[in-house]
Amino acid sequence: MKTETMKECIHIEHLNFSYEGEEMVLRDVNLVASSGESIGLIGANGIGKSTLLKLLVGLDLHYEGKLEIATHPMTKENLNHIREHIGYVFQDSDSQLFMTTVEEDVAFGPQNYGLSPEEVEERVQYALSKVHLTDLRKKHIYKMSGGEKKLASIATILAMRPDIVLMDEPSVALDPRNRRRLINILNEMPQMKLIASHDLDFILDTCERTILMDEGTIIFDGKTSEVMRDKDLLELHGLELPLRFQD
Amino acid sequence: MSKIQNNLREVKKLNELQQREGILNGLHPVVKLVTTILYILVLVSFPKYQVVPCFVMCIYLILLFSLGDLSIRDGIRRMKLILPLVCVVGIFNPFFDHTPITRVGGYVLTGGMLSMLSLMMKGIYAVLASYLLIATTSIEDICYALRWFHVPKILVTVILLIDRYFFILGEEAGRMMDAYKLRAPKQNGIHYKAWGPLVGQWLLRSMDRAEMVYESMSLRGFQGEFRYGKRRHFRWRDFVYLMAWVMVFWLLRFTNILEWIG
Repeated sequence: MKTETMKECIHIEHLNFSYEGEEMVLRDVNLVASSGESIGLIGANGIGKSTLLKLLVGLDLHYEGKLEIATHPMTKENLNHIREHIGYVFQDSDSQLFMTTVEEDVAFGPQNYGLSPEEVEERVQYALSKVHLTDLRKKHIYKMSGGEKKLASIATILAMRPDIVLMDEPSVALDPRNRRRLINILNEMPQMKLIASHDLDFILDTCERTILMDEGTIIFDGKTSEVMRDKDLLELHGLELPLRFQD
Repeated sequence: MSKIQNNLREVKKLNELQQREGILNGLHPVVKLVTTILYILVLVSFPKYQVVPCFVMCIYLILLFSLGDLSIRDGIRRMKLILPLVCVVGIFNPFFDHTPITRVGGYVLTGGMLSMLSLMMKGIYAVLASYLLIATTSIEDICYALRWFHVPKILVTVILLIDRYFFILGEEAGRMMDAYKLRAPKQNGIHYKAWGPLVGQWLLRSMDRAEMVYESMSLRGFQGEFRYGKRRHFRWRDFVYLMAWVMVFWLLRFTNILEWIG
């Protein structure tokens, strides 16, 4: 429930989007998310989850409707400011991490925002400690395991001190131990989180609110515990009950 | 593992060498870049028949390879693609230049032979000196040094991006080659009919990944200029290192030091 201390992080009204000359990918999407919330974004393949995340970070600005991040309208002029508030963790960590070592990659964002070397160092330490990778700061990216790379990707975002964190399929290709580790880390993170995933058990463990999408539109927006037990609704939109609720 | 992936691994090993904590690694990148350039300039400035002074220039390589705890063998192995090219540059000289220059034992050494030898030496030394630089200095630090000399920002950014995208292209090529080989076990190389789709797909996939990397960079505030390496201050040892080598190069090039020492 929204309290007085909660700030509006994402405000979307009547959002429509299509790639040039193609069918509509998002239709009349309405969404308001506040600080501290953890929201799951679920739906079958190709229904516009990743597209919505990309619009939220301004990777495509050709949308119709209203889209505001931390009360700033999503426009080209506001992009730099908005990107200080919002972090995006890619599905593929290899595409996210491009520097040689973990510390260099984590420092990349703060350095680009012109912080002093002391501040950059402080941010690197903070981000790595949050994902428990302090010991691996000198490690070469190509020598890391998939789980470590995922945590390093999150650290690169945390170093920017964002208010909002978007994640695209964060649990993909993680073994059970790393998956559990990631769940714990996400639950400790105070930021507003929007997590797109097919892993419904993961969403159950990390999000109190869930948005179900199909054919580019929002079908359900409410409590995670409610939608995850609605077998008919899930199956109608190409999903299945989470494993823990299956017979 | 495919040949491509093996080559990528070699390049990644170079990255590891750059990250070590050593005397050479700790020197200011500007000093290392200047020394390397000076060395190459002095080396190529020797007259074509002066083989012995040219040979003595190996002192720089021997000292720095041992100081940097680097293996000359590994250096030669990693530069194996370039070294044969620099070796064949003067290979035809003995056929064109028959001027007798000196005698060694009973043999007459012609100008062609000497110029071939000196050209080969210059080529090999220059390649190994460049290897020394890249084995002890990260690409970010080299770019930082280039920017220190006011090399245009756009040019330096292009160098850095080529380095980034080189891995992306290589990794995609390696993955595709593995996938191809696993489904064409009896084939030697790639069938000519598969070249078109393979190269096409390779470019498309590489572009996709390159775009994602670019998105990741711009989401973290990248606006066209990298923060090249760590900002370092010059220290006394940087000046001493540079001055010492300037003196050695000057002695080797402009004095008869070899005659003095017999």
